[in-house]
Amino acid sequence: MLYFIADLLALGAINAIMAVGLNLQYGQAGILNFTYYTFVAIGAYVGAVTTMGHPPVPASEETFILQWSLPWPVALLLAGVVAGVLGLFMVLVVIRRLRSDYLAIVTVSLGFIVWDLITNYVPLFNGANGLFNVPYILNGATASEITYTLEVFGVAMVVLAVCVWVVRSIFRSPYGRVLRAIREDDVVAASFGKATTSSRVWAFVLGCVMAGLAGALLVFYVNAWNPQGFLAEESFILMAAIVIGGPGNYWGAVLGTFVFVELLSEIERYLPNFGNGALVGAGRAVLIGIVLIVVIRFRPDGLIPERWLRWYRVPAGGGQGGPAGFQSPGAPRRRLGWPRVGQRGEI
Amino acid sequence: MLQIEEVEFAYGGSQAVAGCSFDVPDRKVTGLIGPNGAGKSTLMEIIAGGLTPSSGRIVFDGTEIQGLGRIRVARLGIIRTFQTPRELTRLPVMENLVFAAPNQIGERPLQSLFRRGRWAAQERELRLKAESLLEWVGLTKLREEPAGSLSGGQRRLLEIARAMMAEPKLLLLDEPSAGVFPAVRKLIAERIREMVERGITVLVVAHNMAFLSDVADDVVVMAQGKVLRRGTLSEVRADESVVAAYLGGGHVGGTS
Amino acid sequence: MNQLAEAVGFGLVDAAVIALAAVGLSLQVSVTNFINFAYGDFMSFGAYVTYAANAAGLNFFPSVAVGAAGTGLLGVVSNWVVFRPLMRRKSRTLILLICTVGLSFIVQNVIVMIWGPNAEHYSVTVGNALHLGPFLFTPGDLILIGVAFTLLLALHLFMQNTKFGTALRATSNNDDLAQACGIDTGRVVMWTWAISGMLCAVAGVGLALETNSLRPTTGFNELFVVFGAIILGGIGRVYGAMLGALVIGILTEISAMFISPVYSGALAFTVVIVVLLLRPQGLLPGRGRSA
Ligand SMILES: Nc1ncnc2c1ncn2[C@@H]1O[C@H](COP(=O)(O)OP(=O)(O)O)[C@@H](O)[C@H]1O
Ligand SMILES: [Mg+2]
Repeated sequence: MLYFIADLLALGAINAIMAVGLNLQYGQAGILNFTYYTFVAIGAYVGAVTTMGHPPVPASEETFILQWSLPWPVALLLAGVVAGVLGLFMVLVVIRRLRSDYLAIVTVSLGFIVWDLITNYVPLFNGANGLFNVPYILNGATASEITYTLEVFGVAMVVLAVCVWVVRSIFRSPYGRVLRAIREDDVVAASFGKATTSSRVWAFVLGCVMAGLAGALLVFYVNAWNPQGFLAEESFILMAAIVIGGPGNYWGAVLGTFVFVELLSEIERYLPNFGNGALVGAGRAVLIGIVLIVVIRFRPDGLIPERWLRWYRVPAGGGQGGPAGFQSPGAPRRRLGWPRVGQRGEI
Repeated sequence: MLQIEEVEFAYGGSQAVAGCSFDVPDRKVTGLIGPNGAGKSTLMEIIAGGLTPSSGRIVFDGTEIQGLGRIRVARLGIIRTFQTPRELTRLPVMENLVFAAPNQIGERPLQSLFRRGRWAAQERELRLKAESLLEWVGLTKLREEPAGSLSGGQRRLLEIARAMMAEPKLLLLDEPSAGVFPAVRKLIAERIREMVERGITVLVVAHNMAFLSDVADDVVVMAQGKVLRRGTLSEVRADESVVAAYLGGGHVGGTS
Repeated sequence: MNQLAEAVGFGLVDAAVIALAAVGLSLQVSVTNFINFAYGDFMSFGAYVTYAANAAGLNFFPSVAVGAAGTGLLGVVSNWVVFRPLMRRKSRTLILLICTVGLSFIVQNVIVMIWGPNAEHYSVTVGNALHLGPFLFTPGDLILIGVAFTLLLALHLFMQNTKFGTALRATSNNDDLAQACGIDTGRVVMWTWAISGMLCAVAGVGLALETNSLRPTTGFNELFVVFGAIILGGIGRVYGAMLGALVIGILTEISAMFISPVYSGALAFTVVIVVLLLRPQGLLPGRGRSA
């Protein structure tokens, strides 16, 4: 039981990083990325091949590139960077030319191509068999399972804290406002001279970096990775979780992911198998589908809508100007609260 | 200020603007009128950089701007409102205003993260300015409401305030008085005159004659993509060809 | 040369199946203006209902009719429950797109819950391959091509010669205008879902026959090939979709034969991306829908 909770915490923190990153892309910048998990996978692979060193004696068993043995923090950063750079390439090619729903199709297609490539081109990351024996980080090799789990949890929390800081700062800054403006109406944003392309590109790349970080942490935690770990479905579920939780609001995104990505799959593991073996998994997917549609229908801004977040806060003291005791007029009076009657969501 | 020279544009096969030329003089309000489908909105869109004319030039402050794209045109100081108001519906009124300010330091991704002090000072000033603009158009009470919940007239006012926030040199207003109550229309007309006193040049599309006689120094009549006539409102209204164009267009301009 | 002809022949069979699905999807997209990620699962659904009817003792062709009717109904119900309320609210395309993903989850996994995750087979056989000129076809293949051709021709005649067909084309051009002209666009949309559901059910059956196995993911895995076809043809252009299907069917078979079958999926995706980037209006000349 204790281990179960620790495991839940560790995976929860890692999933929260993904949620925060994807939410930056979809919730703030309005880019529908249906292949987010591909970037998680890239991070995982990079994290693995840069820490695994040369494979053990029968070298034919696993073939993969690089075979470095970097210290794990370096590998972690590298994973983020590589995922970010790939995200940059992808988004630069497509973002200017496509309307948002075609862009969604392109993201899925690219995800499939990457998946095909990794699965079939064995020298890259050992093909369909994937990588195993990824080294533990910290003192994981000797520590007990539960200690290691908690350690990973700790590291993931630190990374998560940094990511949340970034996303929160963006959310409250003029840059975040530009992103939201583009999301609402990119023609209006352009008509006021806002940098519509570069703003979105940055948000997308930062989201991909976070995916890469999460992927590397995941592979350090579970010590193995293969193509079955990043089927297209994972990205869809992640996206569904964000939409359910409340796109735009990172707390909603984290909550959605925790419940729908993690809790459900954990529960599923502990449920007895009745009927055919796949029944429980299928039930989970059906549940997610139904909740998704019901939420979009009846609560279009998600369970925790964006408007519950404080829109804006001008940091106190950080500069001159403004009369003494001047209260930022834009700061809403309530921080979190139930929406007032008459506030409308998506129309 | 702005010269439009032989501009042509067609949607697919249909010629919307067919060799249109006129000047918009500095620090004046130029009214642009004409029957529905005359190509007024299309011309505004071309000036604002949203459409590229197939031929002709548009010269602003001595530089050619046709085909520059919305972003660069806006950065030159040409700001527009839309024929059907386009607010950022889910964002509060206040955000709709502050967003429009040009050259915000905190709009750059890295600056937003690491130069908080710098943009925060600017932000405070912008908010004060936005506050006074809200007062100017009488929307102060609604500052925290999502812009999507505003009425038609309030949206028009918000669009005008938002355009002012952007510190324009040239303002393009597409039917700012359409579908609003006479009292609001008066207010809008007053505000437009005040803008001109502050040194802004305005090109305004309108149908309502009372409104036009309040705001416009000069009127350009467009029909079928071309300039039909130019003059003061009373001159233009006395012109038979203008009356014929309106009747031919199946639309009589709003009565005074 | 011989091999090439064979590949083209296989490609024709593929194309027949893809064309049915692509025309159905294209029809739906042209009227509703959003892309449907659940469409592949509709194909699986049709194939499974056919399988169930067949297993229950019905002959094969009547079973296909049952499958088609069932999938048409599924389309109508989905529209009624999920999409119509959202379209009334003028939701954004992205929101509708996400809803189709949710629908895809539901349909695909309901199939798993009912029929299990393992592959099923139809009890009919496609017969032995025989040479027709340079091509190599089974009698099943020929029937498939024939059926697809007949259905598409029927659809064409229906669209051109009936009042409903006119209403449908008007709605897909401009639904506000169509409504203003007194066309009951709600009814048009409903029938569009029904027709596109029926077409894709037949495509699903064809797909299962052709690959000789039916899994809950069969349709979904084919979805992007179908997307490829409609993107090639120009999104929402029904006749373009047929051409797109032909191109992509033959292209994937040729690449499967001369490069490697494992990359034929990747090829389809590459086509999707390249065409979207370079010619978003599709391969055919003329005005694409700018929607
Ligand atoms: N997006 C469009 N696509 C095709 N034709 C258009 C479009 N917008 C306007 N038009 C056509 O261009 C002509 C000019 O329209 P517009 O500029 O809106 O006129 P106005 O604003 O003077 O009423 C009209 O005939 C109209 O039908
Ligand atoms: Mg107009």
